[in-house]
Amino acid sequence: MSSIVCVMLPRFELAVAAGRREALLEGPAALAPEPGREQLVGEVSRAAEAFGIHPGMRLGEALARCPRLALVPPDPVGVADEWERVVVALEGIGAAVEDDRPGVACFDARGLRRLHGGSLDGVVSAVRAALRRPARIGAGPSRFCALAAAARARPRRAAIMARPGELAGEPVALLRHRERTAARPEALERLGVRTLGELAALPRAALSDRFGPAGLIAHDLAHGRDTPLVPRRATEALEETLELEESASGAQLERGLALLIDRLLARRERDGRTLRAVVLSAALVEGGTWRERVVFREPLADPARMGLVLAQRLAVLPAPAEALRLAVERFGAPHPGERALFDDGAAQRRARLREAIRQVRAVAGPEGALRVLTVDPDSRVPERRAVLTPFEL
Amino acid sequence: MSPGARRLAVPQPAAVLTGPGGRPLAVDRHEVVAVRESWLIEDRWWTDRPLRRRYWEVVTVDGRDLVVFRELQDGQWYRHR
Repeated sequence: MSSIVCVMLPRFELAVAAGRREALLEGPAALAPEPGREQLVGEVSRAAEAFGIHPGMRLGEALARCPRLALVPPDPVGVADEWERVVVALEGIGAAVEDDRPGVACFDARGLRRLHGGSLDGVVSAVRAALRRPARIGAGPSRFCALAAAARARPRRAAIMARPGELAGEPVALLRHRERTAARPEALERLGVRTLGELAALPRAALSDRFGPAGLIAHDLAHGRDTPLVPRRATEALEETLELEESASGAQLERGLALLIDRLLARRERDGRTLRAVVLSAALVEGGTWRERVVFREPLADPARMGLVLAQRLAVLPAPAEALRLAVERFGAPHPGERALFDDGAAQRRARLREAIRQVRAVAGPEGALRVLTVDPDSRVPERRAVLTPFEL
Repeated sequence: MSPGARRLAVPQPAAVLTGPGGRPLAVDRHEVVAVRESWLIEDRWWTDRPLRRRYWEVVTVDGRDLVVFRELQDGQWYRHR
């Protein structure tokens, strides 16, 4: 029974990063490594594949294989935004979506059949109608089987893998779609193992001995055994953006960050909740974007502590920024008595002041309590020097 | 700055009478008795929204120190204080 559906948008990250320069993708092109990260190319165009270049290949090797390879600056923020729209569209048809990485989404179709005509075809049609873009859709008894089916599906026709045994003829390159096994296909091909059937026939102990835990996972996948889906938790979008008129870095950027934190914490939708995980992102002056997910060690609502954590991440920003964005990824429980960084006698006074601000806002609205924040005191343009920001303690 | 942020010192439109060389002679009907300083700002010329301003710091007949500028893109005058 094919219960898992996989929706695949090939070269999703590359297409988003290339933006309107679609002509670029007709030639050999690859997603450049993110600044400051390992020098590995990301997704590659079909023409680049013809040169033997594949995602995860070292940049030097990729350029040696194709000197005229066009490198597209990565756009992790644009990719995340666009992918969010895709996942929300899928959730709109009632799917509980697991979005492991941009470009591949899986969901269990068992609960959806009755909603969409009682058959898998009805679900597939609903997916196409919701996405309104070419997508490869596959279905199978497990996530990996569905992914293998999607990889061989045509843009207008879904592929269904009824049994795990059908994986036998598929190439081991499919293992690149899983993070834990992404680096294995190259070694397997060098050893003469080209299909998943050949991989499945190998002794499990030998794979464990040669590749460690990744070998065992690859062996399970080759047999069609996969872990259960982990759909993402529905969350509300709460974010604040700051456009920096003058390209910012260093202390200027940290002041901008403080402003963003204040504004995010002052949002009415937060409703007293703490923040568990946030996403800090920036549009870079030299083109491209930068994105960093930050999970706090404990849920926070203290701007000082959040600032300390997030400022460290800003320090690794690869270039000056034109815009900064802070988004809540997950909330923590409401926690009015959150510990301050230094727990001294001032904590009680701050708590009383916080309550006073809350009451002022309840009467006068969100702008009832503001403070002046110096964003860029040395700017030659007077209106860029200071802003009014919500008063947060 | 993002649209939601409230800036301080936001420029306000001003009625400025000018003389030779674009020098302000009167700001909002107040005669200018001295020009303290003038400077040019050209910024973000590499973007779609370049900023080109000719600033003047002037003293009016009633003793006020004003900072006005002419937006060179559209010729409009503004004052900061």
